[in-house]
Amino acid sequence: MSTGGSTQLTSLFDNAILNQIERMRLKPRRRLTNRSRGEHLSGKGGSSTDFADYRDYASGDDLRYVDWNIFARLHRPYIKQFQHEEELHVVLLVDASTSMLFDDKLLRARQLAAAFGIMGLLSVEKVSAYAIHQKADQPWMLPPGSGRARIRSLLTFLEKVEGGGDIPVERAIETMLKFHRGRGIAVLLSDFLTLGDLTRPLNLLYSSGLEVWGVQVLSDSEINPNVQGDLRFVDSETGETLDITNAAELLNIYQDQRLWLQESLDTMCRRRNGRFLSLSSASSLSTILFDQLCRLGWVLR
Amino acid sequence: MNWPGFSNLFGAWFFLAMVPLIILYFLKLKRPRLEVSSLALWQSVVNDQRVNSPFQKFRRNLLLLLQLLLLALLVAALMQPFLRADAARAEYLPVLIDCSASMSAVDESTGKSRLDLVREQVREMIDGLHGDQQLALFSFSATGRRLTEFTNDRRVLTRALASLEPSHLPGQLDDVLRMAAAYTRTFTIEKVMILTDGNLPDQVDFELPFGLDIKRIAPGGPNIGITEMSARRSSAEEWEVFVRVAGSSADIRSGELQLFENGIRTATETIEVAADESQRLVFPVSSTDAVLLEARVVPAGFDALDIDNSVWLTLPAARPLKIWISTELFSWQHAVRVLPRIDLNTVTPPPAPEYDLLISDDDKLTNVEAPIQIFVGVIPSDLQPLIEPAEDVASVVDWNRTAPLLRHVQMTDVQIGEKPTFAPGIGAKDLEERGYEILVDGNTGPLLLQRREGLKISYWFLFHTDRSTLPYRLGFPIIAANAVEAALKQASLSEVAAAPTGVLPPISLQPDREYRVKNPAGEEVTFRSSTTGVLTGVPAAHAGRYDVFDGSDLTTSIGTGLLNPLESSLQVADEVRFTELSVSSTDTSRLESDQPLWWLLAMLAFVLMLAEWWYFQRGRGAMT
Repeated sequence: MSTGGSTQLTSLFDNAILNQIERMRLKPRRRLTNRSRGEHLSGKGGSSTDFADYRDYASGDDLRYVDWNIFARLHRPYIKQFQHEEELHVVLLVDASTSMLFDDKLLRARQLAAAFGIMGLLSVEKVSAYAIHQKADQPWMLPPGSGRARIRSLLTFLEKVEGGGDIPVERAIETMLKFHRGRGIAVLLSDFLTLGDLTRPLNLLYSSGLEVWGVQVLSDSEINPNVQGDLRFVDSETGETLDITNAAELLNIYQDQRLWLQESLDTMCRRRNGRFLSLSSASSLSTILFDQLCRLGWVLR
Repeated sequence: MNWPGFSNLFGAWFFLAMVPLIILYFLKLKRPRLEVSSLALWQSVVNDQRVNSPFQKFRRNLLLLLQLLLLALLVAALMQPFLRADAARAEYLPVLIDCSASMSAVDESTGKSRLDLVREQVREMIDGLHGDQQLALFSFSATGRRLTEFTNDRRVLTRALASLEPSHLPGQLDDVLRMAAAYTRTFTIEKVMILTDGNLPDQVDFELPFGLDIKRIAPGGPNIGITEMSARRSSAEEWEVFVRVAGSSADIRSGELQLFENGIRTATETIEVAADESQRLVFPVSSTDAVLLEARVVPAGFDALDIDNSVWLTLPAARPLKIWISTELFSWQHAVRVLPRIDLNTVTPPPAPEYDLLISDDDKLTNVEAPIQIFVGVIPSDLQPLIEPAEDVASVVDWNRTAPLLRHVQMTDVQIGEKPTFAPGIGAKDLEERGYEILVDGNTGPLLLQRREGLKISYWFLFHTDRSTLPYRLGFPIIAANAVEAALKQASLSEVAAAPTGVLPPISLQPDREYRVKNPAGEEVTFRSSTTGVLTGVPAAHAGRYDVFDGSDLTTSIGTGLLNPLESSLQVADEVRFTELSVSSTDTSRLESDQPLWWLLAMLAFVLMLAEWWYFQRGRGAMT
């Protein structure tokens, strides 16, 4: 898609970035696809034009796939197998809780979700989006859809996502799975600063056939907090308080804890054939999209 | 181990201030609120730190703990803790400070006198005084002086201590101990502390009603000084002046002894003395007029005590001894007339009002005075009811051989034609009560009596010598010569000795007249002479020259010196014997007074406060 003049298609990023995104494709680790057709090549046995393998003929096989040249030479029937071209379901889960309102975390999450979504839609995949916002059982969602025409809806949905939610990410994942059907990629865009355990929701995602792509978006004040003295921290979501004495002395432990959280999230994602990336909201979108994600092999340009 | 005591236990009530402090702390503890995206990480941090640091709970309340500690230190300081130097601490403690001459001895290295050292120690003691402890300061030299009543007022005690000056007098304990003992009636005194250099008489006639703690500081450096000075007339115009110089150190120390006559140096001798080797020097002095002599020691090296370096002695003008003898006493006249340098008069009645020696057979003489009087064949009127004369032969039973009048006199087998006899029921004790001393005892009563009245001495022969064989005995001219010798001494015509400090010797002046006496310190005091023309009782606390003025005219000068071998020797008595027990003196360079700890606690509190301020201010400053 291209834009003419100076009119911006979306407020999330400018048209120049959009143009570049349009030329990119998602690169999942495994082909967890749906049975319906798509542009992603699945395992052998498909009906695409890409040859995959041979196998012995079995009774009931479609005779159209018998390789007659080999039958002529070997006098035995072999069936030619072709790659499947099946649909990949891209699930975008944007954490819109209050904690994401710090600095530009939510904006960066929405931008990344839009980018991943556009890449999916232009690959003729099904793309659905969910926003973690409310406690209610009904999530703020964009139903699955595919095709270029869906891009507009996706961008509009993400533009409207506002912060202020108070539902933790682990509960949001479980709620989302109640509405989701299909295999593919689940892109979780969150700060993952939750007191809950993410093991169960990630297991549920994996068992649902979704490859988990965890993207942790942290602000600079979370990566390198500049605090000193005796403080009373107030949780932006719950309002709970925590008294800290001489916070400066605790910064080393804080960094250890932050890195430990990253490592554990990375491990959890990898064990479920997924990926994990922690990034700063202060990093530019271009750097993230065209540099970090490409180098890490998340996307193809 | 002695546990610390507290002088002000009521201060412990202030520990209750901890309660409002804790309440206020929790009420007023307000931390800056900081909204964070999530507490998840910080909660993990806190949990992790609690696991790793078991004292985190305490660290959280570090400020409170520091403030409680600060308050505890301040309250403890308010309670005035102290370390007991002695478990049995005396509540009332008299402190007797030696101010004798030897306390002026200075140390060669520090230049501090003994009294300075004692002053420092007592000052420490005063500083360490507690609320329930009271001191009474006394000073003593020849006599005792109370400086303060029992008090714990540091200002009063310090002022009294500052007023202490070393005297030029020898040290005597009796007087001051009696003063301290007088307090036992009103205060519970368990112990009396004496601070001295140990230069004390080793025997004191005193029964101790309390314990005695003699603290001895180190004596001063080496000293040499004059311990004796006297003069004897060798001829009509010649005197022999004797000066004894003693030292205090074991090694021999040298110097010069200079003799000044009326302020002009006339002789110089080199001296070398050690602790047990005094040196006696003799100087001939020719003079018929009165001369004021000064002997001055100039030590070659360091000298710890300079009080004893100068001594004054007044030589009287030469004159014949004035003697009056009754006209009828031929035997006495014969015996006396042959003696040299006398002016004998036998005219009755005596033409002059004053004589140096008067020998009479009549006690009714009026308008005539003499310092030495001999009455022959006279019973004193106040003894006449006690002693009855009898016409019988008496013999000598015993006599006082050491009496000046009877020195070298043999009284055995003297036959006496009169027999003084005690009245029934009367004995020697009755005579003593009336001031008479028996010099010669007869078989039925006294034969010779002596009576002292001030400077005047009278001898009473209760029998007439002409009615005895005494004038025919060898002893009679000896008695006459002894009487003349005593009169010479009394008139200072044959021997004079330098006066030690204390009280000036009696001075013969115009009767009943006011005189000003100017002491070596320049102070003037007015005294009145007696009706007999004697000025007595003039205090002489300082060694040096005393000038006596009649109006503005200098009448006479008289000098004093320390003249105390014990003080000059700076000798230390390790033990002082009292009536019932002996008390050892102990060396001390520092008194073991209770050590106050309040200042230490206050200092700790101050340091803690500074540390707390620095710690928390540093943290807040960096938080911006």
